[in-house]
Amino acid sequence: MKTFVKHIPHYLTLFGILFAGFAGLILFSYDKNFQLSIAVAAASAYVAWGIVHHILHKDFHFEIILEYLAVAILGLTIIFSLIIRA
Amino acid sequence: MSALKLLVHLFIPHESNNQKAKILHPKSLGLIVAFLIGFQLIISFGYVSFPQILGYAANIAPSEVIRLTNAQRAANGLAPLTENATLDSAALAKGNDMIAKGYWAHFAPDGTSPWSFFTSFGYKYQYAGENLARDFSDVPSAVNAWMNSPTHKENILNPNYKEIGIGVVEGSLAGANTTIIVQFFGTSLSGSPSVPIARANEAGSTGSVQKPIPSASPKPIAALVVPTPVPTPTSMVTNVSKSVGSPFVFTKNQSLGVVGVLLLVLSIDLIVVRRKRIARIGGRTLAHISYLGMILAVILILKAGQII
Repeated sequence: MKTFVKHIPHYLTLFGILFAGFAGLILFSYDKNFQLSIAVAAASAYVAWGIVHHILHKDFHFEIILEYLAVAILGLTIIFSLIIRA
Repeated sequence: MSALKLLVHLFIPHESNNQKAKILHPKSLGLIVAFLIGFQLIISFGYVSFPQILGYAANIAPSEVIRLTNAQRAANGLAPLTENATLDSAALAKGNDMIAKGYWAHFAPDGTSPWSFFTSFGYKYQYAGENLARDFSDVPSAVNAWMNSPTHKENILNPNYKEIGIGVVEGSLAGANTTIIVQFFGTSLSGSPSVPIARANEAGSTGSVQKPIPSASPKPIAALVVPTPVPTPTSMVTNVSKSVGSPFVFTKNQSLGVVGVLLLVLSIDLIVVRRKRIARIGGRTLAHISYLGMILAVILILKAGQII
């Protein structure tokens, strides 16, 4: 919990990124291509957030970025498959 | 390795998995991505190659479209629309035209207007309108989508319309199995012989900017007499009874399962690592939960179906 409190500004930024991505996907539901772009932007911002956060936290490792990338690609795969099928 | 140990290894931080559930390791996540992509390829291949097994047909009955449309009109104090066999046939022809020419629009790429289908079937109109929907698995979803769009709603609740025709067509559009609903509205000239000006309303190309398009106005009434034989209404629907589930529903359920399991494992990870005060090199579990939580919300909210 201490770690979370210490990094509240970091997490607020992340929540803002994710909320913006979510809102964009809903608001632009009539434009699939734009939705796909929003999904890519949100996933990229999420990975970028991870990189910046761990650099600032001084525990940046290549394996950590792989983890963020894997989670981001997983989310992207799901969103892409749903948008394309919708 | 016993089943219990395997479960612990896969889902709970432990010495065997370097204090992180194996399913959360990048390699495992990569395997899940490969599985998801493989699943999509299989259902795409299956729907195309084995339609008799995986054949999907939405549960769209034209009579239900008319019933729900009239229910909306009744709720707004308007007279019900009468089904017109000629309009049914014209709507079906419009749907078949979209499948044959591969377009999803009010106007065909070659410039064919919606109104030409009215006239080519001998329906001389005073007022005409068109709503289109595709990929809805049931009628209430499609009618609700139209009612949520101001211009489509305007068509449904237009007091000038007296008759309605519905065409439901299934086929492949841009490589995807599609069910298209064509909703034609009209008022026949024979019912109101004294009106001098023809007018057509059409929903625009997107859900948010749909207004009548002046260029879509029909030609002078005198030029609209092109009668042709009217096909029987029985041909209006193709394969509407074999529905087992759409590719979208399969994908949605599969996605919910994958994200649900991952969120559960991440939550367990968050608790166990905190309680045991495990120090490890890795990403922030809370960040992963937040991202996948957003994905879950999107999965729950996304719906199949488009209207124009």
